[in-house]
Amino acid sequence: MTAGGGPRRAVVTGASRGLGAVIARVLADDGYELLLTARGAGPLEAVAAELRGRGATVTAVAGDVADPGLRARVGETVRQAGPLHVLVNNASELGPSPLPPLAQYPLPELDRVYRVNVFAPLAWVQELLEPLASANGLVVNVSSDAAVVGYPGWGGYGSSKAALDLLSKTLANELAPRGVSVVSVDPGDLRTAMHQAAFPGEDISDRPLPSVTVPFWQWLLHQEHGAVSGGRFRAQADRWEVVR
Amino acid sequence: MTGSALQPYSRPPLEADRTPEARGLARDEVRLLVSTATEEVDRSFLDLPDLLRPGDLLVVNESATLPASLPASGPDGPFVLNLSTEFGPGLWLAEPRWSESRPGPLPLPDGTPVEVAGTRATVVARYPGIPRLAFLRFEAEVERLLADHGRPIRYGYLREEPPLAAYQTAFARVPGSVEMPSAGRPFSPRVLARLEARGVSLARVVLHCGVSSLEEGDDVTGAPPVLPEPYAVPSETVEAVARARRTGGRVVAVGTTVVRALATAEDGGALRASRGFTRRYVAPPATIGSVDGLLTGFHAARTTHLALLSAVAGEARIRRAYRRAAEAGYLWHEFGDVHLILPGTAPPG
Repeated sequence: MTAGGGPRRAVVTGASRGLGAVIARVLADDGYELLLTARGAGPLEAVAAELRGRGATVTAVAGDVADPGLRARVGETVRQAGPLHVLVNNASELGPSPLPPLAQYPLPELDRVYRVNVFAPLAWVQELLEPLASANGLVVNVSSDAAVVGYPGWGGYGSSKAALDLLSKTLANELAPRGVSVVSVDPGDLRTAMHQAAFPGEDISDRPLPSVTVPFWQWLLHQEHGAVSGGRFRAQADRWEVVR
Repeated sequence: MTGSALQPYSRPPLEADRTPEARGLARDEVRLLVSTATEEVDRSFLDLPDLLRPGDLLVVNESATLPASLPASGPDGPFVLNLSTEFGPGLWLAEPRWSESRPGPLPLPDGTPVEVAGTRATVVARYPGIPRLAFLRFEAEVERLLADHGRPIRYGYLREEPPLAAYQTAFARVPGSVEMPSAGRPFSPRVLARLEARGVSLARVVLHCGVSSLEEGDDVTGAPPVLPEPYAVPSETVEAVARARRTGGRVVAVGTTVVRALATAEDGGALRASRGFTRRYVAPPATIGSVDGLLTGFHAARTTHLALLSAVAGEARIRRAYRRAAEAGYLWHEFGDVHLILPGTAPPG
């Protein structure tokens, strides 16, 4: 929630499908100007076209969040536009499917998981810090319950999300003086392509669609940013508690 | 346990179709059914101070009721828009209905502009899994709209149209509910004075009631979808509960909303101050460590309320009390009679 004139702007990574597309849609319907990224240019453009059809202003830039070139291009575009109110670091790398146990985890794959899930979100915050600070913006890092539970097979992905959770919490403290708020959100199990890849060949139709998180996003995006900063929220939990 | 498992009575209960005042009673003169683990006793609400003990704590809901029903019109003509819950400035979860007596869902796709009391609003998203509810973004200040055009949400069993004041309890301080937290309604200045003289103290929480949930329970878990509602449990209340506990007093929740707020603020059995949104569903086998007793109205059998009552007092006891209440002609719903559930077997007062 921000006061003042001018359009509010948001960047969403991994916006071409699943949860990222749902978050993009909530922001678009709330009147945000959007810059969306994802690796798949076709699906990304389809989401952008749908949101434009609903009256939103959308820029779509295809690329890999771990690619410094993409980051620099998006950073340039965002800085030219002005203040950035929301950054959603949603793009995530699950790792090999089926999920390997840690004792056999191929380390090059783990390197990729960490680059996408830990280094990239931090790099995007670094890249977009100035426009975020000038809007008293909110950074949303998408986490997972795998970050806290220790599910067999989820050690690579889960440990990367645990690292992301601590980055979020630390950034919230470090960036408070700049007026930037940072939260971490565990969306819960969802019927998405990523979840299916974690359970190849299994029926995951008992998991809810990502749209089940819409009420949570409506809540989070309308809280005073400072009241939620440093929090770790579970979108499907029965309590969303403000931090202060 | 599903709602249908709790059809406790042999005859349909009587509905309060008017306020107690319209029935010739003062607010505090409604009937009070007292139930303990072993028996039910018929009393008047005026007897409440004698039924409680010095050191007992009543926890009340300070939420005030909004006139949340607004005239609206969309592509298919006029409809009634019942607001449910404010998620943020200008953003409300709401229930568009064909009319007061005819629920939706209405064909209002995302992005549909609608007119609400002469101002513009936009449907931004359906509530997931509950097509009768939608998020709406308002361009006008909603507080103003409600003050100028809102009426209290009213259900079909009411024969009159009570004014907003009839929906406010003695504790109402923070506007935000769209349905009255009705267990607090019978409290009057004279009853409050006698409670104070008796040594019974008060503590406060806030839970803003949204529109009633009508949806059936999930086939697998029996849990119905519970809408997120704003709540706050302040540290003074956490301290008051701890103090009552320390000194042997009983904690009596005034209304199911208070039980839900306290249950939400419990972490691993310990109560701590918190605020935010809750969609906590309280049902057996869950127990609520902070609550010993409950003052509440009589609720429709197929509701989350009855599951909550069973979590407080056990299903068999609630079933027995409801059968008795129906047979003895207690009045149901928000303007009806009330029910005091006390722990233990001691015959009341």
